[in-house]
Amino acid sequence: MSHWLKRIEKKSKHSKSWKKDILYLTLILSASFLLSLQIQTLFHAQSLISTIFVLAVFLISLVTQGYIWGIVSSLISMMAVNYAFTFPYFTFNFTIPENLFSAIVMLFVTSMTSTLTTKIKEQEKIKLESEKEKMRANLLRAISHDLRTPLTTIYGSCSAIIENYDLLSKDQQLKLLEEVREDSQWLIRMVENLLSVTRIDGEKVNVIKTPTVLEELIDTVLVKFQKRYPNQEVTVDIPDEFISIPMDAVLIEQVLMNLLENAVQHAKGMTQLTLKVFTSGTKAIFEVTDDGCGIPKEQMSHLFTGYLEKRNTPADGQKNSMGIGLSVCAAILKAHGGEIYAENQKSGGVTFGFSLEKEEIDGKNYE
Amino acid sequence: MSSNKYRILIIEDELNIRSFVKTILETNGYQVLTSGTGKQGEWMVTSHCPDLIILDLGLPDMDGVELIKKIRKFSGVPIIVLSARTDENDKVSALDLGANDYVTKPFGTAELLARVRATLRNSHHSTGNGLYGKFVVKDMEIDYDRRIVLVKHQEIKLTQTEYNIVTLLSEHAGRVLTYAFIIHAIWGTADSGSIKKLQVNMANIRKKLGSKPGDNQYISNELGVGYRMYGNE
Repeated sequence: MSHWLKRIEKKSKHSKSWKKDILYLTLILSASFLLSLQIQTLFHAQSLISTIFVLAVFLISLVTQGYIWGIVSSLISMMAVNYAFTFPYFTFNFTIPENLFSAIVMLFVTSMTSTLTTKIKEQEKIKLESEKEKMRANLLRAISHDLRTPLTTIYGSCSAIIENYDLLSKDQQLKLLEEVREDSQWLIRMVENLLSVTRIDGEKVNVIKTPTVLEELIDTVLVKFQKRYPNQEVTVDIPDEFISIPMDAVLIEQVLMNLLENAVQHAKGMTQLTLKVFTSGTKAIFEVTDDGCGIPKEQMSHLFTGYLEKRNTPADGQKNSMGIGLSVCAAILKAHGGEIYAENQKSGGVTFGFSLEKEEIDGKNYE
Repeated sequence: MSSNKYRILIIEDELNIRSFVKTILETNGYQVLTSGTGKQGEWMVTSHCPDLIILDLGLPDMDGVELIKKIRKFSGVPIIVLSARTDENDKVSALDLGANDYVTKPFGTAELLARVRATLRNSHHSTGNGLYGKFVVKDMEIDYDRRIVLVKHQEIKLTQTEYNIVTLLSEHAGRVLTYAFIIHAIWGTADSGSIKKLQVNMANIRKKLGSKPGDNQYISNELGVGYRMYGNE
């Protein structure tokens, strides 16, 4: 079904860009035609006119999709020059060898230009795609590697219990089972993150945004967080007024969970964890602040990409959900057209923050 | 002895999930029937008359949402849906078609048991023939006869619309009501601004009831789905 949707989406995008392309073509060509008319009456010079049309075709190839528009515009330009700007004026005349020759040259130059620009655009697209593909492959490799550790514990502990059921004491069994539960919870979180990545993996990473009530979002995050970390208190500071923000709520929920969780796991010596949201102009700014140990300067630069780079060092068997968590946050915000940042606080601790565009609320009566 | 136990039917194609859910339900005193397919499940609903159905939405032989539609034609038996995190749309349409609640996979045993208990309890007092008397959840009280809401014995000034929403939720306490369901019940018709209208009213209700984010005592937010009033625990 999703394939179908994608196809329909693509189609509609195509028809939309098709209309846009025609608009560009008409606009640019008529502009250059008018300009040429002006030049002809002002300077009585014709040498400029072909150049102007070559430039027009070049511009059209830049802004439109595919070869066809460039070629069409080069044909039109050739006709226009022949019709309006070569002797005899305002008639088509290909019998004069000079006109015919200049028409052919112009057609050749303009179509070459359009072909070249289109080719360059295509190559850039391919390059971008192969980079994306490479990143995806790296991520997959890194994750599969990380999944092995908890799976080993789960498989091993369960086997140990089944095979030595009568030999193990109740306490020993409980301890093993507790580890199984802990590691499966870690796996669940990992899979949630992966699902988030696949959700934004589509064509142009555009997420589907639904207006979400800020207070409801924060409530949902806190309920979930308190379930996972019942002993960690979170200080909440959000505006009193009704704020609605277009977003993919599942993904932003994931970002806030990852940031809060990140603080619990990595901010050593933390006594206070704060989740603050405030507005500034048309934006809502989210901040998660801890008063823990802070982040060393040398780690700051690759905090959100570190997951992949760190993989080069041999695995120490430690669970490293921090890296992937932050990388996923960065990807989610990028898909929302925003960016995530981290700042060490002067008083110690770190602030992670990001901003999203608010929805305009009209003062309608909602009785 | 076994005759007064609640009978629960699990319709789930994954053998392992079926087996662990059966085990925890049985150890908690329920009588459990299982089915691995939608077809067999549908047949078992008619022949065994379960008190509750736990239904996986992703069945191989039949769309789970379709199955709910079929069951609702002849039975009002409460249904709890098991869904994956990614298919919110299925979740919403399942609730719209009459499922009572949902549990997102992967779930813990405590969570599932709590939902089962709440659903069984609440399916009994929702008779649907008018509201009278009182509804109490924690320290909130709705007096249907006097049409007022009290928190800690203090009257809360609600507008007509707000009162209607609160009573609607209380009438179906324990159950998630989707945005579409509430909008239809309160305003009758829906337009593009309906959800915003509902959300604004809910924000006012929360404020008046004194709810804080992360600590909603009476009504829970089911983000992107709807709202649920807690049942009397």
